[in-house]
Amino acid sequence: MAPHARLLTREVLPFLGSFAALALLALALDGLLHLFDLLWIGRWLGIPGTLLIIGSTVYSLRKRKLIQRGNPARLLRWHETLAWLGSLLVLVHAGVHFNAILGWLAVWAMLINVGSGLTGKFLLARSRQRLDEARQRLRGRGLSEVELENRLYWDSLTFDAVRKWRVVHFPITLAFSVLATAHIVAILLFWGWN
Amino acid sequence: MKKRPILLIVIAVNLLVLLALVFAYPHLMVSPGALVAGHAELATDCFACHVPWRGASSGRCTACHAVADVGLKTTKGVSMAAGTIKGSFHQSLIEQDCMACHSDHQGLKLTQRSRKPFSHGLLKLTVRDNCASCHAAPKDFVHRGLKMECSTCHESKAWKPAHFDHDPYFVLDRDHEAPCETCHKVNDPSRYTCYGCHEHSLAKVRREHLEEGIQDFANCVECHRDPRVEPEKQGGRDQGGRKKD
Repeated sequence: MAPHARLLTREVLPFLGSFAALALLALALDGLLHLFDLLWIGRWLGIPGTLLIIGSTVYSLRKRKLIQRGNPARLLRWHETLAWLGSLLVLVHAGVHFNAILGWLAVWAMLINVGSGLTGKFLLARSRQRLDEARQRLRGRGLSEVELENRLYWDSLTFDAVRKWRVVHFPITLAFSVLATAHIVAILLFWGWN
Repeated sequence: MKKRPILLIVIAVNLLVLLALVFAYPHLMVSPGALVAGHAELATDCFACHVPWRGASSGRCTACHAVADVGLKTTKGVSMAAGTIKGSFHQSLIEQDCMACHSDHQGLKLTQRSRKPFSHGLLKLTVRDNCASCHAAPKDFVHRGLKMECSTCHESKAWKPAHFDHDPYFVLDRDHEAPCETCHKVNDPSRYTCYGCHEHSLAKVRREHLEEGIQDFANCVECHRDPRVEPEKQGGRDQGGRKKD
């Protein structure tokens, strides 16, 4: 397969697919709620969505060593899955109806955050793949582990791209957190629960 | 570690800007939709209606809208035209739960109504069963002069669809699926004729009945309540009913 075709099928399409699936599934669920006049369900989906997103941050805490337990690789998979599902529920919640700018800002920040997260996911996968290929190639030439590590130093810089991406991902998450928290506080302040 | 103060500053600035915007423009930043026209002046005063952490409160509504005055006087004490429907039922509600019907944030036109539909279940029994206390009786020919309860045909949820059971008077089988006016001439459901269609004529009916020795055939439904059933001598169901033209 030509490199360009491989890039398209293995990296670009899965990335766009995850994002498109999120949008299409949210639209479909929103449409169903409208069709069956079940808008009240959408109104409450913000709560489980928020809880799922909060649950997904265990990986971030582990990565920053704020918690010591848990397998980072497994937590990363949970981070991706829970954040995607939580975002889906929040999108359905947002699509039902609300008018406040604060809420919409939070949703846009969340979408940018999801886009950033998916970018990081595929950046990481790409870097890992390149590093593995380089390691195999150098092993095949009979290099010792020390020489191998030295030679791989430049390849490992691709991981730096991931590290640099994290620098971008964190402020986006921060903006989303602040906006979402402000929206939630506003709801708690004005909503009548009975 | 050098990044932390910058991040903390970013967080603090974000929060401060947001807080400032929320307090300066609450109707844009946190309101779920524009207020109804009558409450437009309260757009930036959320706590005029909302109790912090507990939502909108009926107590705050009735502080301005005294229940005894709803539909009778404005909140400024000016008398309203007598006999409004509002005035006739707000004083007769089983409880003062304003939000059960009123949602003053209009929301997006595409997705939300500003007012929830009224439920007759919120009325005290004495008023609920007395439709005329709020509704004027229709003056069309179907309803004029009727003595029966509205609930015989109508449900409190909606005026339509109405279900009138014609069978006790005459069973409308597939041969009698005709417009009301075919039998009930001159817009009067209290009278009827069986000679409104081509099937029945006075001469034909007279001949057939006289052949059977039946002299009194003026009131058809006295014997013919159900066209699918051959009538007995005094056939049909309950006696009485509508007058024959």
